[in-house]
Amino acid sequence: MSQHPPTAAFELQGITKRFGEVVANDAVDLSVDAGEIHGLIGENGAGKTTLMGVLYGIHRPDAGEIRVAGRRRRFDSPLDAIHAGLGMVHQHFMLFDSLTVAENVVFGAEPERYGLVDRAVAAKRVAELAERYGLEVETGALVGGLPVGVQQRVEILKALYRQAAVLVLDEPTAVLTPGEQEGLFRVLRSLAAEGTAIVFISHKLPEVLTLCDRTTVLRQGRVTGTVVTAQSSAEELSRLMVGRTVSAPKIEPHEPGETVLKIESLVVSGRGPDPAVDRVDLAVKAREIVGIAGVAGNGQSELAAAIAGLERPRSGRIRLGSAELTSLSVRERRAAGLACVPEDRDGTGLATAASVAENALMGFEGRPELAPRGVLDSAAIDRRAGDLVDQLRIRTAGVRAAAADLSGGNRQKLVVGRELAHDARLLLVEQPTRGVDLAAIELIHRALLDYSSGGGAVLLISAELGELLTLADRILVMLGGRIVGELARESATEERLGLLMAGGG
Amino acid sequence: MSALRELLGDLRGPLLAVGAAVLVGGAFVLATGHNPLLAYGAMLTGDLFATLSRAAPIVGMGVATAIAFRAGFFNLGGEGQLVLGGLAAATVALALPEGGLFTVVLSIGAAAVVGGLWAASAAFFEFRFRVPLLVSTLLLNYPARLLASYLVNHQLRDVDSGLPQTERIADGVQLARWGGSGRLHAGILLVLIVVLVVAFAIARTRAGYRLRMTGLNRRFAQAGGVDLRRLGTSVMFTSGAVAGLVGAVQVLGVHHRFIDNSLTQPLWAWTGLMVALLSGSRPLGVLLAGLFFAAVQTGGFAMERVTEVPRELSRVLQALIILFVAAKDRFRLALARTRRAD
Repeated sequence: MSQHPPTAAFELQGITKRFGEVVANDAVDLSVDAGEIHGLIGENGAGKTTLMGVLYGIHRPDAGEIRVAGRRRRFDSPLDAIHAGLGMVHQHFMLFDSLTVAENVVFGAEPERYGLVDRAVAAKRVAELAERYGLEVETGALVGGLPVGVQQRVEILKALYRQAAVLVLDEPTAVLTPGEQEGLFRVLRSLAAEGTAIVFISHKLPEVLTLCDRTTVLRQGRVTGTVVTAQSSAEELSRLMVGRTVSAPKIEPHEPGETVLKIESLVVSGRGPDPAVDRVDLAVKAREIVGIAGVAGNGQSELAAAIAGLERPRSGRIRLGSAELTSLSVRERRAAGLACVPEDRDGTGLATAASVAENALMGFEGRPELAPRGVLDSAAIDRRAGDLVDQLRIRTAGVRAAAADLSGGNRQKLVVGRELAHDARLLLVEQPTRGVDLAAIELIHRALLDYSSGGGAVLLISAELGELLTLADRILVMLGGRIVGELARESATEERLGLLMAGGG
Repeated sequence: MSALRELLGDLRGPLLAVGAAVLVGGAFVLATGHNPLLAYGAMLTGDLFATLSRAAPIVGMGVATAIAFRAGFFNLGGEGQLVLGGLAAATVALALPEGGLFTVVLSIGAAAVVGGLWAASAAFFEFRFRVPLLVSTLLLNYPARLLASYLVNHQLRDVDSGLPQTERIADGVQLARWGGSGRLHAGILLVLIVVLVVAFAIARTRAGYRLRMTGLNRRFAQAGGVDLRRLGTSVMFTSGAVAGLVGAVQVLGVHHRFIDNSLTQPLWAWTGLMVALLSGSRPLGVLLAGLFFAAVQTGGFAMERVTEVPRELSRVLQALIILFVAAKDRFRLALARTRRAD
């Protein structure tokens, strides 16, 4: 760990931020030194993102003050924060896909020549910057075509180009492969060694324990502790986060029932000449959870889209019970017994501008008890949404609140809860706990296991090997659009899965 | 409270925009050497009956546009749908002059169906051949207008008249009239009923729920089982049908014949589009905004009579209001919701 000088790069004192009746931050203090990597952890809805929004000028605090390099500051917009030397890498990248790496990095502060953007100078400066911090990028490449790990580097470069002395990363590892994650950590360590203060927001305790010098834990908007990471442990941090220790769910031995989903030689076209899904066969039985592992981009999303009816397969068959799904519309598939938790929570799973109740209604609006003679019964709809909120302990100001006002974990619980409520024969679940806090993960895992033991068939696509190992009875590994291996629960380990995923099976 | 807000939308933005437009408009008047207070004062003396009569087509076209916008679809073809609706209404009314109320109903129905089919054809091209609605609806205005113009100049022309117009519709199939020189007609009531029905349908029915969710996030609706093609086609049909109905209202209630350019010259469709934008496509907001725009326009006539300020100022005001709304919301209320289906 690097030796950090005692100067605070920034300080937040007594920050309070309310959204309506919800107190997102309650008198939060946070001080990060130059050269320090400071972990900021907490469940979803604990107020991490809000706190960083306050620091970055996105939200104006209701109380408290912000000091950057010792000076008291008031930010009216992120632009002010950027000028004060703050940089932020958001969960969702803010990049122009159709511009090059260099153009993205210099955007807003372009080197000019005769009033025009001097591309050569821009490319040179960006290349120098990248070299200095060991951020490998091709400055002339179009951002849209780059893997997410590289796009993230572009985001970091953007902040460095504007000479950020403080760099905030909001769950940067959520989208990375293990290899990319290692690279990111190396970069962050070298930045810290040069004196940059880094705030690393995460859910994943092992990452925080390896990377961070100190860690601040938030729970329900309050700081429950700031610890020197080297002197702490996963147990202590998780206790500070959720107020108790998390236990892995117990799985009772069970016999699967009849086959519910049967996929035969399914082929789905990809963007390039090679099919995204290549002659896949698989079957899922009742009372069985079948997991699909694989590095992102090996056909899992396309497989899910083909089952859900959002993508038309090139050939092959998908049978759900006695119904052949390939020729059916989404609604007919749902009627045949399919429910889906999509990968893209906000893009596909929700209409974030709509209310919690309206989001909970999707797929159920055809039920006569909720819309007798085609007219919505809002009392019944709100009641039903209220039950869902209670059951899944969704933290919201009310069922009429916009889904956008919920934290990521609570939005995910809303999607999962809605789809579970279909009581469908087959539940297709993609990345059910991506970017979700521990308590919500526990709850969602429990719900999926209950669903399966209640007779449902679950096809679980996840990038979290731990999740697959915890939940799945069998794990299939996808690579290059094909299923390259299958491991039963008893024989599956992280190492064996990793080997298959990398093509070494 | 929240239900009212759902129906009306947030009024702060539009009110600010109106205030800012009045100020800038006043500066224009001042710059041309007139007294803005006198000009605005004269505007307020506009005739209430004239305003209501003018509001009907504006509000009607606003609602027609709003139906499509709320579902995230573009309908810039209101003008063509309006004209064909008016033409269809006139044709039926002239063919069955003895039919009384039956003819009136049939005539309005025909107008709605023709306007609806014209708009639905754009949806067909979108879903079948991926022709963007933005382009197709706009372009379909030209054949509609030119076809109507051709027919009214030739086959349907009243040969005794020197103007490109049809014969006069029989008294028995005109819409009932009352009040100040007959400018209040049953069509105004009909438009009001349509607005209320549409407001109810969007806010409170199953179909309205699907429409709203599709407008907010098309992929979400699709994944939830909404058949985009079916919804899009029926939304476009309904939108066009309302536009066609407005055409019938103008022909049966105001002109009593189809006169070439009489539905395009006053820019009903485009004013309606502005009203839909201003109100965030909320039907009751459209009603308010439409009444307001109509008042500004009739006020413009009054102002021209009383002062020397030309009535074009009212158009300037309209444009400024929209400009300020756009500056504040960047059209996010209605337009940015539209994303292409994947």
